[in-house]
Amino acid sequence: MTTKTGTSLELEYRDTNGFGAAQGGRGYYLPVDLAVRSDGRIYVLSRGDAVQGGNGIKITDIEHNWYDVISGRGRSPGEFISATAIVFDANDRIFMADEELNRITIFDADHSYVTHWGTQGSGDGEFDGPSGLAFDRDGNLLVVDDKNHRIQRYTPEGGYISSIGSHGSGDGEFNFPWGVTVAPDGNIYVADWRNDRIQRFTHDGEFIDAHGTTGLGENQFHRPSNTAVDTDGNIFVADWANQRVQVFDKSWNFQTSIRGAGELSVWAAEYIDANADEKEARSSFDPYPELDVEDPHEVSARTEPYFWDPVSLALFDDTRLLVLETGRHRFQVWEKV
Amino acid sequence: MATTTKSGTDLDLIAHLLRRAGFGATRDELEEYASLGYDGALDRLFNMGDPEALPVDLIRRHQAEQSDNRIAPASGSHWMYRMATTKTPFEEKIALFWHRVFATGQTKLIQGKVMLSQIEMFRKYGLGSFRDLLIQLSRDPAMIVWLDNQDNHKDNINENYGREILELFAMGVGNYSEQDIKECSRAFTGWTIANMPYMSIRMRNNTLRPYGYVAWQYQYDPDDHDDGEKTFLGETGNFNGEDVIEIICKNPATANFVARHLYHYFQADEFPVPQWPFEEPKDPAAIQLMVDAYFANDYSIGAMLRALFESDIFKSEETRYARIKSPVELVVGTLRLAGGFDWPTQEIYKATAACNYMGQALLAPVSVEGWMGGGDWISTGSMVQRINFASGTVGDKNKKGIKAIVDGISERHPTGDVNAEDLVDDCLEFLGALQVGDDTREGLVVYAREQGEIDPRTDDGANKIVSMLQLIVSAREYQLV
Repeated sequence: MTTKTGTSLELEYRDTNGFGAAQGGRGYYLPVDLAVRSDGRIYVLSRGDAVQGGNGIKITDIEHNWYDVISGRGRSPGEFISATAIVFDANDRIFMADEELNRITIFDADHSYVTHWGTQGSGDGEFDGPSGLAFDRDGNLLVVDDKNHRIQRYTPEGGYISSIGSHGSGDGEFNFPWGVTVAPDGNIYVADWRNDRIQRFTHDGEFIDAHGTTGLGENQFHRPSNTAVDTDGNIFVADWANQRVQVFDKSWNFQTSIRGAGELSVWAAEYIDANADEKEARSSFDPYPELDVEDPHEVSARTEPYFWDPVSLALFDDTRLLVLETGRHRFQVWEKV
Repeated sequence: MATTTKSGTDLDLIAHLLRRAGFGATRDELEEYASLGYDGALDRLFNMGDPEALPVDLIRRHQAEQSDNRIAPASGSHWMYRMATTKTPFEEKIALFWHRVFATGQTKLIQGKVMLSQIEMFRKYGLGSFRDLLIQLSRDPAMIVWLDNQDNHKDNINENYGREILELFAMGVGNYSEQDIKECSRAFTGWTIANMPYMSIRMRNNTLRPYGYVAWQYQYDPDDHDDGEKTFLGETGNFNGEDVIEIICKNPATANFVARHLYHYFQADEFPVPQWPFEEPKDPAAIQLMVDAYFANDYSIGAMLRALFESDIFKSEETRYARIKSPVELVVGTLRLAGGFDWPTQEIYKATAACNYMGQALLAPVSVEGWMGGGDWISTGSMVQRINFASGTVGDKNKKGIKAIVDGISERHPTGDVNAEDLVDDCLEFLGALQVGDDTREGLVVYAREQGEIDPRTDDGANKIVSMLQLIVSAREYQLV
C-alpha cells in the first residue's frame, strides 16, 4: 500500500545538456546510458547508428564543458556495435557492455583500452545481451543478462560468482530486465522491463519487494528502463514507454512525476545562433502544439521539451537528477527541492 | 490438377489467395488457412487480430536506430520487420498498396517518423470507406508537406495537392477540369501542420539538430481557409475539404479508378497508370464487380476486395501467376519462408537494401506517381538481384524456416531415400504450394537426378534439398505471384 505523504519530494527543471550529433563532434546521437565520475565529469554513452555514426563515450560536465570521446563503432578491441551501459569502478576504470558483441570492455582511468571479456550463451558465466551494469558494495560487477532474464555477478576480471533470477513474472523473476542500480545502502534495484515493475534485492540477492503494475497512473509503469537511488533512499524510475520519471520514497510512497521541460542547451543555442534562417523560424516555434494523439510516445515525438525515451538516470552530488533521452540526444538536469 | 487437403479444400487456391492478400505462406500456414475453408480463410484475413509477432517496444529498445524517427534506411527497415514477421499480412499488403497509390517519399520529407505514421494510417483506414481514407490522407502531415499544402493559402493557392488528389489519388486524368483543380485547392486551404515555418526550414536544411526530428502535427487554420463559394464537379457551395472529398467519392470515375488500381495490384498486371485514360480495362467485368461493391457499401475498399476475392474471376486458373512480384513481395515472401527475424537485428538492413537494388526503395518511391509495376520490375540488373537475394536467403540451412523444410521432407521419407520426382514435388509444396510449368519441372527433376542418392537425414541430403530450394526460387515461376 502506498500513499502520498505530506512532505513530498519535488523536482525542478534546471538545465539541458546535449545536441544531436549524428555525424560526430560535440553532442550525442541515440545515447543509452550515462555515468558520473568521481571528479564530477559526466560520461555519456552515445550508441549512434550503423549508417551515420555519432558513436562513442562522450565526456562533458555539469557546466557544459566538452572534453573527449572514447571508443567508437567497430568490432575491434575497445570498440562497440550496440553498447548498452557504462559504469565506473572505485578506481575510475570504465566498464562498458555491448549487447551485440556480448562483451564487457574495460578502459583505465586514462581512457586507454585494457581488456574485454564475455561469452555468449545461457550457462553460468555466459550472457545473451548484457544491458545493465553496476558495482556491488564488494566491488563485484552486476551484469543484467537481458535475453536470459537474469542478473549475474562477476569479479571485475570476468570471473563468474553467482546469478539472480530466471524468466517469469513471480517474485525474483524477470522478463527482459534492463538497468540495474546499487543503492547507497547496498540494495540492488532492477528495472524488470517487460514486467512493468521495479524489483529490489538485498546485497546477497535475496528478494525484498517489487513495485509497479502496468499502466499510466501513479505507481504504474510501462517498460521502466532504469533507476537511481539517493542517500535518503528516494527512488527515481525512468518510466521509459510512459515517457516520464516517477519518484518514490524508500517505502515506495509516490512523490512526484516529471514529463520533461527541455530548453535549448548551451551547445544547441550556439547552433541556432549560427544559423540565421533556423533562428528566425524558431522565433515563432510553439514547443507545445495542440495534439490529436494521446500515446506518450507519439506525444513526445511531437513535443520537443518532453522526455523522449528517457532511458537512464544518474544523480549528481545527490542533489541533481540527470535524465538521459535516447530520442532527443540530450540529458535534462532536475534538482531536488 | 489441384492439390487438395484432407478437408477437401483446394490448397492451390488457398496458396493463390495468400500470395495475393499476403506474401505467400509456409506449408504450415497453408494447412492452417486451408483447414478453415476458402471463406474461413478470407474471414481470417479480413479480421486482422494482433499483428505484433515482433513488438515495437523490442525494436525501439534493442535497435533504437531502426525505431520510427530515424533516417531512411532505418525507417524502411522498421516497416520491413513488420512485414517479415506480422501475423496479419493482409494489413501490410493493403498498406503497401496505398503506399504505391499515394506515393510519398522520405527523400523530400527527411524524417522517417511521419512516413511511418502515414503507413500506420493506411493500416487503420486502408480497408474502410474511401471517404475516411481520403480525409485522413488530406490531414496526414507527411502528405501535406510532400505536396506542399502548407503553402496553399486562401489568398494564394498552391494547386499541388488539389491536382494530385484528382489526377493520381482518386479519379484519373479526363474526369475533371483545370477549374475543378483550383476549386479543390481552395477547399483545402488552411489544412497545414503546426509550427510550419520552423518545420519547413529544418526539412529544407535536412537537419536533426538541435534535438532530433520533431514529428509533425496536423493543424487546421480557419483564418487561412477560403470559405467562399466554390463550384466543383458541377456542385456549388462553401465547400471545405471534407465536402470536396464527398463529391469525389460519389463520382463514378472514382469508383472505376480505385477498382482499376485494386485490379492492378491484386488480380493481374494492368497497363501502366498513365495509359489508363487511353486504354480500356483488361477485364471490365472484374472492375464492375468492385464498383458495385463500392457503391453498395459506403465506398468500402474492404467490400470491393471481398467481392473480388469471392469471385470466380479471382479464383480462376488463368489468374494465378498472372502478376510479376514487386521487389517487396519477393523479398518479404522469401524472408517469411526462411524465418529468422524473431529478434531485431542489423541483418534487416540487407533486406531493405535488396528491395532498393531491385527498384523499390521503401518509403522512397521514384515519384509522386509511385511505381508502375508489371514489366517495369524486370531488367537485367534487377533480375540478378532478385535471384541472388532469393537463392542466398533460402540457401542458409541454419535459418529456422529452411531447417523446418528439411525436417519436413525428412519426416516424409523416414527410410532416407528420396527419388528425384518426390524431391522436386516436396520442395515445391514446402515453398508454398508453388506451381511450375512442365519445362521447369523437368529441368528440376534432371538436376535432382544429377545429385545422386538423397538422404534428407544426413548433412549431404540437407545440402541437396537446400540446393533444390535455391534452384526453384531462381526459376521464372518464383518471380510471379
